[in-house]
Amino acid sequence: MTTPDVQTAASKSNEDRILRFWTPILLRTILIVAMIVLVIGLILCATYEPGYLVKRYQEVQHSRLMGRIDLGRFWTDVRAGQPHTVIMLGLFILTLVPLARVAFCFLLFVKERDWIYVAFTAYVLAGLIVGVLIGSSG
Amino acid sequence: MLHILVNLIGLAFLAGFIGSISGLGGGVFIVPALVIVFKMPMRVAIGASLISVVATSAGASVAFVRDGWTNLKVAMVLECATVTGAIIGAYMAGIVPTTILEILFAAMMLQSAYFTIKKKGDDILTKGDPLAERLQLGGQVPDETGKLISYEVVKIPGGAALMVVAGLMSGLLGIGSGALKVMAMDYIMHLPLKVSSATSNFMIGVTAGAGALVFLSRGDVSTTIAAPVAIGVTAGALTGSRVLPHLKVEWLRMVFVVILILIALEMGWRALSGI
Repeated sequence: MTTPDVQTAASKSNEDRILRFWTPILLRTILIVAMIVLVIGLILCATYEPGYLVKRYQEVQHSRLMGRIDLGRFWTDVRAGQPHTVIMLGLFILTLVPLARVAFCFLLFVKERDWIYVAFTAYVLAGLIVGVLIGSSG
Repeated sequence: MLHILVNLIGLAFLAGFIGSISGLGGGVFIVPALVIVFKMPMRVAIGASLISVVATSAGASVAFVRDGWTNLKVAMVLECATVTGAIIGAYMAGIVPTTILEILFAAMMLQSAYFTIKKKGDDILTKGDPLAERLQLGGQVPDETGKLISYEVVKIPGGAALMVVAGLMSGLLGIGSGALKVMAMDYIMHLPLKVSSATSNFMIGVTAGAGALVFLSRGDVSTTIAAPVAIGVTAGALTGSRVLPHLKVEWLRMVFVVILILIALEMGWRALSGI
């Protein structure tokens, strides 16, 4: 018969083992997908039209960016191989790495009923969502 | 065009490498290099820098978490403080004069560089305070002979307070504040320097990720610049994460001092040039 303290310690150790095993796999998988999409985007850029990359580079130097993404056209442009949108997709996937990691930890702590860490990760997730909303509207 | 791509990827590789071993993210090199060398507008440089911090954090954390250098629970506790600071900072942006903050930040970095030079090695604690023990924040790291040594953590409220300041600076100035995060863990909470660096690396991705999402959704990120930067930084961070375990703590402190002085110079330059 194990004491509650021993049971808690065992559960924490299991939680730690799962975190150490799955977090790098999660990070590496999303990172690889993002890198593949970015490389495809750059190759599309280089083959899109002669001088496209140089033209875009010079436009960026003069602060002429592509502007807000039109979400309605996003997937159509990705499927059509529009280089800017394909790279944007890669950057979005990359940006989701840390958020996915916090969400994964949150779900794990819920599963393990470690309520202190559920509270910590829920707070961070909520804070990130609020931060993105404030920033996007500002 | 090929040489521009190669130069961008090369610069980003260096930034990712140094950013991952120091725990500072690499934005400190990306922003001035893009503005001064590549003649990019500040807005484009900051957008690319945020992407580079996310990539450094993710790339380096793959090995740091797997090999036990990152203290995941310390990161999760302190992220609450950082996020709080970042949200307060986002509200205060435009109210507080950033020039004064930049000068203050530069002064803090110079003072940290001085303390870092004075401090030798790591003071590893074998007894944590009650709160740290309740949250099970202690861990184990290999020493120079490869033997695992246990460390404990103290002064979480003090570390968290500095993390709020780090988040505040991120929200107000658009920087990663990795230097403040490493300081909070190394000086205040007495974590070993390599653990502080790896844990800071893990944490900076979260705040930078939120900032990068804002920049991306506003259309303030140049895909032509950010894509090669992200690829180079990731490769640099993956390489850096393999080098860190073999670095002597004294060397790491020296790298940290040089970067702190560079940050101070960059902040001073931003304050005085009004960018």
